[in-house]
Amino acid sequence: MAEVEETLKRIQSQKGVQGIIIVNAEGIPIKTTLDNSSTVQYAGLIHQSVMKARSTVRDIDPQNDLTFLRIRSKKNEIMIAPDKDYFLIVIQNPSD
Amino acid sequence: MLTDPQDHLAHQFPLEGELRPTFSGLSDFLHRVEDMIVKELAKNAKSHAFDGFDVNWEDQNETVSCKHRLQHLVAQEKGLHVTSISWSCTGSVIACAFGRVDDGDWSAEKSCVCTWNLDRRGLNPKRPNTVIDVARPVMSLSFHPTSPSLIAGGLYSGEVVVWDTNRTQDPVLAQTGMSTDAHREPVYQVAWVPGQRRGEMLVLSAGSGGRVLLWTVDGGSLVLSAGYALVRQQVPHNSSLSKGRGSSNVGVTSLALSPWDSDTFLVGSEGGLVLKCSFSAQELAAAPPDGESVALRAPAQFSFSPRGGPVHSLHYSPFHRNLFVSVGTDGLARLHSLLQPDPLLSLRVSDSYLFGVRWSPTRPLVFAAATGQGLVQIFDLGRKSLRPAATMDQLTSGQPAYCMEFNPCQTDLLAVGNADGSVNIWHLSTELTEQGHRETAQLEQLANEVAE
Repeated sequence: MAEVEETLKRIQSQKGVQGIIIVNAEGIPIKTTLDNSSTVQYAGLIHQSVMKARSTVRDIDPQNDLTFLRIRSKKNEIMIAPDKDYFLIVIQNPSD
Repeated sequence: MLTDPQDHLAHQFPLEGELRPTFSGLSDFLHRVEDMIVKELAKNAKSHAFDGFDVNWEDQNETVSCKHRLQHLVAQEKGLHVTSISWSCTGSVIACAFGRVDDGDWSAEKSCVCTWNLDRRGLNPKRPNTVIDVARPVMSLSFHPTSPSLIAGGLYSGEVVVWDTNRTQDPVLAQTGMSTDAHREPVYQVAWVPGQRRGEMLVLSAGSGGRVLLWTVDGGSLVLSAGYALVRQQVPHNSSLSKGRGSSNVGVTSLALSPWDSDTFLVGSEGGLVLKCSFSAQELAAAPPDGESVALRAPAQFSFSPRGGPVHSLHYSPFHRNLFVSVGTDGLARLHSLLQPDPLLSLRVSDSYLFGVRWSPTRPLVFAAATGQGLVQIFDLGRKSLRPAATMDQLTSGQPAYCMEFNPCQTDLLAVGNADGSVNIWHLSTELTEQGHRETAQLEQLANEVAE
């Protein structure tokens, strides 16, 4: 769909963006700007991290829920916008 | 000029199954999150919140220190040198080969291979855990990449042997013997390379006879599987090479396998040549047949600018597919790109010979060089100054340091084998082992520079 591609292009053009992956509710990547092996690796690991983060939030307060997750590391930052059916994962190196 | 065929292309990743699946709700989802994420990305790019912020997950080690000084008194009494060292795949055991690196006919000298298990309690640095007696000097050694008890060795006589340290009676698992296929000259390099079948490993041996041979373990013998002969007339002439005098064989003094491309390997020669070679080369070698059971092929495909003396050590960068470093008797460490004959950088490391060079397994810009004066100099290409970042004195009273290997598991340990028969295990500081910000990018920049 052209609209989806346009949106991904806009996000990709932000400063320092190294990659974008969209995974479905099962953690399976459905769109990516990275190579296959990196995509598969990121998708699986991040899906697990998001589920863990979400359960942490809801265990502390069942009325609360995860809205956004950021993992900052020495080399880059991973931002995840979760949703019922999809997760949007963006990897950015802010100093690039 | 060669071009790099490897390009990193981004592509779309379609879902299997239906031809053009419509992801219901995907467009809406992206619509919902787009503004928010674009704002966050922009804010993050401008933020200084984390400037200079570092987290210490590991204990910081401020200094470089010598953890162990391993010696085998019997070998030292005989004045044997440590010619080669190798770590087991588990990183627990260090093996060293004894032989001689100086001139002379040492063919009748008995020697040995010793191993120490550094993780075992009650480690006695003066008592190896295993001593394998060998009838001739051992010039090269390599532990099997997955079986922690198998070691391949190349001897002064040209023989290649595989030992199994688990065998109590006779540790020899397989050997070439003195067959017509075997090398006739010292074997300076042995390595394990994957074979055609899954899980199969072949022993590669290279020596001063100009032969690079591949062996399979078959019963108690090493059987020649494939072979290459380096002959002067078949060396590609990229730069001015003096017409060879003497033997037309190109004696191999060092060899490096590429961690990026299983078909490519580098060879350094006695005459100062550095050659890029291919296992799949088809051209037959112009060497007179000598009773070999396999037709020898000519592997050299590209010549780098030659050095003024034997090339003792070569190492591919673990962080960049086109970079390697070479050292030799001219005391220089040369950083090369695989794509051009001239070096990118020539560093004067020492006034004496250099015997070994190894890139750091964790810091893309760092490499270590072993000198003929018994020092190991560590260089950090990220620093402005070209002086060493650290100097490790092997305490050999000026005798050479011949070989070095980083521990494959505990990457802050560096083993150094010396002419006085000792093996020193060094613990490197955090500064020398922890990758810095943007180091890979800096290395990439270096690799793309064209030599003046």
